Amino acid sequence: MEPVDIKATLSSPAINFDTDNNTLHIRGESYPENSFDFYEPIISWLKTSLQELSEITLDIAITYMNSSSTKCTLDIMDVLEDAHERGVKTCIIWRYDRENPRSYEMAEDFREEVTFSFEIAVLDT
Amino acid sequence: MDLYALKNEFDQTGIMICFNGPFYHSIIEEIGTAVRNHLAAVNISQGALMDVFAVYIELTHNVRNYITLRGITRPEVASSIITIGRSSNGYEVSSGNIVLNKDAEMVCMRVDEVNAMTQDEVKSQYRKQMRSDVARGALGAGLGFLEIAKRSSEKIKYTAKDLNTTSKFLTLTAFV
Repeated sequence: MEPVDIKATLSSPAINFDTDNNTLHIRGESYPENSFDFYEPIISWLKTSLQELSEITLDIAITYMNSSSTKCTLDIMDVLEDAHERGVKTCIIWRYDRENPRSYEMAEDFREEVTFSFEIAVLDT
Repeated sequence: MDLYALKNEFDQTGIMICFNGPFYHSIIEEIGTAVRNHLAAVNISQGALMDVFAVYIELTHNVRNYITLRGITRPEVASSIITIGRSSNGYEVSSGNIVLNKDAEMVCMRVDEVNAMTQDEVKSQYRKQMRSDVARGALGAGLGFLEIAKRSSEKIKYTAKDLNTTSKFLTLTAFV
C-alpha cells in the first residue's frame, strides 16, 4: 500500500494514513482551487487500498468545506460504503467545531448518507 | 485620483474590504483570511463569520471557474471585483465580472430557481445535487448557489449591465 502524507495548506486539509490503526486522517479546511483535482488521487488510493484492507476508519475533522469539497467528501464516503457492502469493517469519526452550529449540522447531514458506523465527536482545538 | 472620495464612498456604502483586478486563488485565500480576521475582531458569532466566509468563497470560486472555463486571458476581461461589507441587517458579499450574454442569462435563471426555493427545498436539492454525477472537466459540482442560499438571510440579488452586444457586467450579491 502506498503511503499517504499530504501536508495542509490554507485551503486544503492534511491527509495521512496511519497504518498501525488503519485510519485515514483528514484535518483542516477544504476550499482548494480545484476540489476534484485535489481529492481524485485520494479517492483512487482509497479504492486500491480497500482491496487489501479488512477494516478502515476515516477520522475527519474539516471545520469548513466549500460546496465542491462537500461533493468530493461524499464520493469518499461512497467508496467506504461500497467496501462496507463487501464486508470491510468501516467506520467514520466526524469531528465538529463546537463553536460553529453549521459544523454539527454538516456532520448530521453526512451521517444520513451512510449505513455504517458514523460517530460524531467534538473537535479538540 | 481622489482616494478620499473613493474611501468616503466605501465608508458610506459599508464596504469593509474590496478587491478589484484579475484575481487568482492565492488572492482569494489572502482576502479570505483578511475577511475572517476582520470579522473576528468585531462581535460576531463563529457561525455567522463562517457563513460570510463561505458565501465569499462560493462567489469568488464562481468567478475564477468562469474565467478558467471560458479561457479568458485578457486582463481587462478577467479583471473582477469583490466586496465584503456591512448591510442593514448583517453583512453582504458581492462579486462583479464580465460574462457573455448567454452565460449571464443562465446564471440569472439559476439564481431565480434557487431564490424560489424554501430553506427545506434548498436542503433537499442540495442532497440531490450532491448525488448527481459531475460532468468530466467541470470545475464545480453545481452546488454553489444552493450553498449560498443555505447560508443567506435574504434572497440572492443580481444585476446584469450591458457592456456591448456580446457581454454584460454581472453583479451577484448575497446577504448573511
